[in-house]
Amino acid sequence: MPSFKLDGQDIPFEPGETIIAAARRAGVDIPHYCWHPGLSVAANCRMCLVEVLPPAGRKAMMLDVLEWDADKQDYVPAKKPKLVPSCQQAAGEGMEVASSSSEHVARARGAVQELLLLNHPVDCPICDQAGECRLQDYWLEHQGTKKRMHDEIVHKPKGVVFGPTIVYDAERCIVCTRCVRFCEEVVKDPVLEKRERGNLSEITLAPGRELDHGYTLMTEHVCPVGALTARDFRFKARVWFLRSAPSVCMGCATGCNAYLDFDPRDDTVYRHRPRENMAVNQYWMCDEGMLDYRRVHEGRLLAARVRGKKATLGDALEKAAGVLSGVDPERLGVVLSAQHSNEDNFALLRLGRDYLGTGHIYVSGRAEGLGDQVLKHADKNPNAAGVTALCTSTPPKTFAELAKDIHDGRITHVIALGSYSSDATKTEALGKLQGLVTLATREGPVAKHATVVLPVSSWAECDGTFVNAKGMAQESEKAITPRGDSLPGWKLVAALAKQLGLPMAWTKLAQVRKAMAPEAGATVAHATGAEA
Amino acid sequence: MEPLDRDLDETEIELAAEPMLINVGPSHPAMHGTVRVVMELSGETIERCDVQVGYLHRGFEKMCERGTWTQVYPYVDRCNYVSPMLNNVGFSLACEKMLGIEVPERCQWYRMILGELARLSDHLTCDGAMAMELGAFTPFLWMVKARELVWDVMEEETGARLTHSFGRVGGMAAPPTPGFKEHVRAVVDQIRHVMDEVKRLLLGNRIFLDRLEGVGVISVDDAVSLGWTGPALRAAGVPYDVRKSYPYLKYGEVDFDVPVGSASDCYDRFMVRIEEMEQSARIIDQCLERMPDEGPINADDPRVVLPPKDEVYTTIEGTIRHFKIVMEGLKLPAGEVYSFTEGGNGELGFYLVSDGSGTPWRVRIRPPCFYVTGGLERVITGQMVADVVPCFGSLNMIGGECDR
Amino acid sequence: MAKALLQLIQLEFPDAVLETHSQHGDDTVVVDPGAWKAVARFCKEQLAMEMLADLTCVDWPHREPRFDVVAHLHSLSKGQRLRLKARVGDAEGEHAAIDSLTELWASANWAEREAWDMFGVVFTDHPDLRRILTYPEFVGHALRKDYPADRIQPLVPYREVENIEKLPPFDHHEGMSFGRQTHLASRGDD
Repeated sequence: MPSFKLDGQDIPFEPGETIIAAARRAGVDIPHYCWHPGLSVAANCRMCLVEVLPPAGRKAMMLDVLEWDADKQDYVPAKKPKLVPSCQQAAGEGMEVASSSSEHVARARGAVQELLLLNHPVDCPICDQAGECRLQDYWLEHQGTKKRMHDEIVHKPKGVVFGPTIVYDAERCIVCTRCVRFCEEVVKDPVLEKRERGNLSEITLAPGRELDHGYTLMTEHVCPVGALTARDFRFKARVWFLRSAPSVCMGCATGCNAYLDFDPRDDTVYRHRPRENMAVNQYWMCDEGMLDYRRVHEGRLLAARVRGKKATLGDALEKAAGVLSGVDPERLGVVLSAQHSNEDNFALLRLGRDYLGTGHIYVSGRAEGLGDQVLKHADKNPNAAGVTALCTSTPPKTFAELAKDIHDGRITHVIALGSYSSDATKTEALGKLQGLVTLATREGPVAKHATVVLPVSSWAECDGTFVNAKGMAQESEKAITPRGDSLPGWKLVAALAKQLGLPMAWTKLAQVRKAMAPEAGATVAHATGAEA
Repeated sequence: MEPLDRDLDETEIELAAEPMLINVGPSHPAMHGTVRVVMELSGETIERCDVQVGYLHRGFEKMCERGTWTQVYPYVDRCNYVSPMLNNVGFSLACEKMLGIEVPERCQWYRMILGELARLSDHLTCDGAMAMELGAFTPFLWMVKARELVWDVMEEETGARLTHSFGRVGGMAAPPTPGFKEHVRAVVDQIRHVMDEVKRLLLGNRIFLDRLEGVGVISVDDAVSLGWTGPALRAAGVPYDVRKSYPYLKYGEVDFDVPVGSASDCYDRFMVRIEEMEQSARIIDQCLERMPDEGPINADDPRVVLPPKDEVYTTIEGTIRHFKIVMEGLKLPAGEVYSFTEGGNGELGFYLVSDGSGTPWRVRIRPPCFYVTGGLERVITGQMVADVVPCFGSLNMIGGECDR
Repeated sequence: MAKALLQLIQLEFPDAVLETHSQHGDDTVVVDPGAWKAVARFCKEQLAMEMLADLTCVDWPHREPRFDVVAHLHSLSKGQRLRLKARVGDAEGEHAAIDSLTELWASANWAEREAWDMFGVVFTDHPDLRRILTYPEFVGHALRKDYPADRIQPLVPYREVENIEKLPPFDHHEGMSFGRQTHLASRGDD
């Protein structure tokens, strides 16, 4: 592969790649605001300027500048080499680039940073970006000087509501146009545009429009400063108290890689952020997925119930065992959940099919929704492919078929994982069952009709593997400790099996995974990559 | 040696007479700052003893790992709490060594003056307590009154008498007050006066001398092997003072002597401290003359020193600087450093390990009196029970520093 | 001038020296734990390091071997200093054993007791390896990164008074319940 030198280090590059992209792949960071690996090049921030040393025998292109001479206490004419934006400059074989080793570049960076901060409002205490703001980081690294302007800053509109999800603050905006390019190139909906010029520039909406396409939260994600803020996250948490767990979005079968940001002090999940995975979601996530973290805290089932009344977990397990013991395997149905992880489903399958001996396996989940060409999949369940793979030869039957079987009296007892039913019209059939044990994370139709309900931990509270529509098995890691009385699904199944006197003695997730190994199918894919 | 704890059942009325086991401390007036010594006596002589420390262990080194580098200052203050400024200065120097920055000259003199005042306070407390425990209550009261004068200076400068958390990486928390020099000169004069009186009262007293001379002798080899530093080692005859051997701040530019003993007994340890007080006063006089009256106290490094408050509230750069330093902490470069200064009891070392983030990875305080107290066993074995009082007093074990 | 120290040690123990550096002017040599005592003896006898100024440990939980045993040596006669380091211990903190230096310097006695107490590093041939800063019934090793700072320790029962309700001074909800780093090696096994 061809390579160029950056500060003496050899960086390989693909033909046509820019300096900054190649450096990023090699792990070297050149400071930038407007460049994003997933968007087109704008080169308007000028922070990524580097010095490209001229090839042997040629002179560098020099510009006339005025420099402050401390002895003469006046500006004197001088020359400096022309610096080149590394986001735009294609790398060439044998090129010698000086970034942090060039003093011209250091001065340029300091100057750009000073210019960007010139009219910036003193908003850090109330700005959500504090703690993950590039202006703060680059000031410390590259500028370090005080403000030289003594005039009032230019005032622009603050708190402009762009749409149902985003608020815009024009004073904080550095007009890098990342949001504009994102809407235009990734979503193909050019609703944002830059207006005015010079120090009056700001971002504005297309006339008569709101920022309401399905990926608005990504504009907040790409914004390097606090100009665009998410109404969902505003003023809720400070990012330095948040830790991130690498997770997978549960919104649909695309399985976008995400970070779950949570506060470990009170075990609360505050937001999702996209995680880079070029094979699945590149750098983005949709609004539905971004807001899906709310399911960890809203509508949860946190205590066991027996016949509608709250019970302790031990009592409920006993009653559940009572419901299931002695049931004819021909009359027993097992409902797997396309919303739950492979491990949870595998445990239930092991219990129902291998130990209790039933052959009636069904799958349920959320009903189908709308998909689009960008990221969203119509199947709103993250693990449908995983459940199908677990059932190996015979695919599981649908919820409609379950309702028919119950109606015809072929199934009298059911153990179900998850409380969603994929067909809302058919849930009344569940009322006809003699015994229904539901292991669920949230309230729902299947939990409503249950004899015994056992609380399961959501995806944020335990590690799990989910297989997306492309067949890639991805691991989601635990973020917070299990809420209420809930336990991971596989643990509850093992406890239920113990009550029934069956030898399922799993105590650690590693044991479940080991037992699962030959049946899971696709290999586990871990996403890697830094954030843009 | 194995611990001598025995839980004696109360029904056992006959206590063994030879050897007799007694327990001194941890709650005992002679055991400054909670130390427990379990002794096995034969008559009045101590045959064996077990010194048990740790009653004041507060987990400082663990706590330091949970904040930022600046949040370590309150912890180091409470280590050697009779000379807290020396701890502050020592830690500041350690962080500055790691960052490679040097504070302005005015700050160096300021740190030296405050440090030597803290040393005066330490020695006044130690010698005063020693005298009191031998029955001489008056000199104790005089020396504690002199200590109050030192604390008045501290209160004027820092706002707190004892645990002031005044040091900062890159300078001090505030510049000296306008009347600083006059105040310190007056206080040092008073202290010299008090010390003259104390010396006249104590040093000719037969009982005082008999109780201290020849008591608690330790050989030089033992002292060095035990890791003793400071007045205890100098009393043994080794002229090791960090200020002379590895000068820091401006100690290389001031004249002072290092008092060294010869007999390595309690009397020498007592006298070394008396003489050191005179030398500290000398250093303070010279520093007061040489300290500039104007000039910055804090280094000019935006990564480390907080900006003035008016800048924080009115400019974005000031806000960002304040924010970065306070919320993320000072970013000391990844690596390790061992920095040492002359604390009240000897070589106070700081071994800092940083991982590059604003949170300390490991803050190890090398406590001089931990090693000195480790030698207590060797010092009092073979002495009589009553000698434990001057021996322990002369070693100046500060519980906060020993146990952290 | 002090660079010569590092070279002398490297010449004498070519196999045992793993790395050397002089960050911030402190000469440091990392040795194989098996050669710990031999190198220390060489430093004391040949390099005139009469004093062991300090001995402690540092915990790096994501690295194996986990603990750095760090000794600071000081030569009073020559005015030279040296830092000796060795790496011991597996990921769980087990099998962290190294020779005791009490035979060479008496200051190692208490310093190693503290390292044992705080980190769980065993110093073989130490005459009296017991806890020094914490009480004998203390469970765990406090300065390890996976020891939570707000853990409540078992209380020692009063002697003859029965059924006394002894409460810990702080409930786990009180005090500073969070730190900037949560070095939890495992957030649960499921």
